[in-house]
Amino acid sequence: MNNALLFTAALLLAAPAAATTLTVTFSVTDAPTGQIMLSLYDNEAAHDGGGTPVAQAAVPVANGQAVARFPGLAAGRYAIKAFHDIDGDGKMGMTPFGMPTEPFAFSNNAPAVGGPAPWSASHFAVDGDAAATAITIR
Amino acid sequence: MSIDRRTLFHRALLAGLGASLPAEALAAGLAAAAQPQWALALGDVEADIAPRPLTRLHGRLPADLAGTLYRNGPALFRRGGTAVNHWFDGDGLVRAFRLADGRASLAARFVDTAKRRIETAAGRIVQPGFGTPARAGAIVASADDTNAANTHVIAAGGRLLALWEAGSAHAIDPATLATQGPVTFRPDLKGMPFLAHPKVEASGRIWNIGLSGRNAFVWRLSAAGALEKGQLIRLPSASYMHDFTMTARHLIIVCQPWLHERDSLPFASGMAWRPEQGTRVLVIDKADLTSQCVYELPALFFFHLGDGWEDADGTIHFDGCFDDSPLFASETASALVEGRYPRTERPLLRLISLAPDGRAQLRDAGITAEFPRNPGGHAGPRPTIHVGGYRAGRPFAQTLGRWDWQAGRASTHDFEPQQIVEEFVVAGRWLIGTTINLAARATELHVLPAADPAAGPVASFRADVALPHSFHGSWVAA
Repeated sequence: MNNALLFTAALLLAAPAAATTLTVTFSVTDAPTGQIMLSLYDNEAAHDGGGTPVAQAAVPVANGQAVARFPGLAAGRYAIKAFHDIDGDGKMGMTPFGMPTEPFAFSNNAPAVGGPAPWSASHFAVDGDAAATAITIR
Repeated sequence: MSIDRRTLFHRALLAGLGASLPAEALAAGLAAAAQPQWALALGDVEADIAPRPLTRLHGRLPADLAGTLYRNGPALFRRGGTAVNHWFDGDGLVRAFRLADGRASLAARFVDTAKRRIETAAGRIVQPGFGTPARAGAIVASADDTNAANTHVIAAGGRLLALWEAGSAHAIDPATLATQGPVTFRPDLKGMPFLAHPKVEASGRIWNIGLSGRNAFVWRLSAAGALEKGQLIRLPSASYMHDFTMTARHLIIVCQPWLHERDSLPFASGMAWRPEQGTRVLVIDKADLTSQCVYELPALFFFHLGDGWEDADGTIHFDGCFDDSPLFASETASALVEGRYPRTERPLLRLISLAPDGRAQLRDAGITAEFPRNPGGHAGPRPTIHVGGYRAGRPFAQTLGRWDWQAGRASTHDFEPQQIVEEFVVAGRWLIGTTINLAARATELHVLPAADPAAGPVASFRADVALPHSFHGSWVAA
């Protein structure tokens, strides 16, 4: 790579990224009630290491769907962890052994394998004016 | 968000997963190696078994014996060049042996579990289990995704429950054997471990436990199978347990020193045999689960215990089938899937007595025994029905016996070396159970007198198919 290209790349990285609105559409088949609670992450360390999400939301379930919008996101890679708060109490239901009792899902519909899907399987690109992703909770 | 608690999922897995040996290219090895005759006991059943009559070999069904023997056991171990790594990880096949009008019939249907659906779609064994590691394509969002529903089947509240030990019971239609789905006894108990050996009181009330490390959840169900109460208790150690027992008044939880020490997969890598710690027996008052005492015994390893009873002075007695290490669970049961039998099993029938002054005693029957069943409930001393005759060179039992602890006397029928003897259950005055006839390559059904099995079968039937070795089952009278 020559110096001119490097210089251009540096400029692009330094420029403020255009704000993007991310729309997340949930298809819900397990129960028609409650809300979807989700956390949005913008980096692997926070996502896989139990760190702080960049945004969180709770959106109502209606007609088997729920839609969450995150305006003003910087372009980049993101991942989502979500659960269906069927009883609407604002928290993940737990058994006496501390196991989840309400359904959950991850972006890209990445499967759980003995734990939340890792960033490597669940991250997706957000860029342009608008971005969209869909997650099914069953 | 609490979904970040990765350890939660880990625990779900670990609750049910057992030892594993690395066994890459296992299926290829299976095809290449000459299989011993007994490998029929771990053969694959490719599809449900449509209802069919059994052929009568000899004898007549007793007039007072009409109903259905339901049995459950793993029956699919290999898919698309892959295999499970442990006998306990095959898909559960519920079998119904129906006796009516002097005739016998057989039907069998796989339990429609999440594990079976995932692996059917994948065309390969991918889900982790008791001793099988997760492979590419595994989906484990909860313990029930690994639930093989392959260990026991009981009748409660007009339905059957196909049981495993680290996840939900699966409800089954007793007539069609169709799976109705995992049972959630209360919304907050979804997917909770429910051991495969619930204990039933004379009243019909059902007790069970579920395990997670040093925590146990005590289930109390009505005779109709509805949840009456559930309570969390703490155990003396994070022991692996397949069974517990009880008397009329007490629950008895035998904490053997095969301990869950680390959250790691496969499960065996997190389990450790600590014989120096001995065995701690937790005795709990059923009327007040906080009223407990602990007895100490030398290191024992067991899968199955017999029903307990109490003397007038409060001394508790129960028997069980005890080995001196967990090697069957951690190694032999894996080798069996590969057609190997590296170590002769010697599960010994022993009686444990717990005196009110805190003393604990062990007594030996002097015989090998497994799959104990007891007629007579918890009211007092009762005989133990068991299989046995374990010997070198071939796994599984060859005999059916009745051991009387009071008289110190055995009554034993030897089915001869060409038969593998599975669990027999008590059906009134009779014992009913199955064998695998290795010479005929067929499953057989036999009825023997409960008072004296040595008299031999009063009636025997043969199926036109050999089903693999089942674990446990229930007699449901018509």
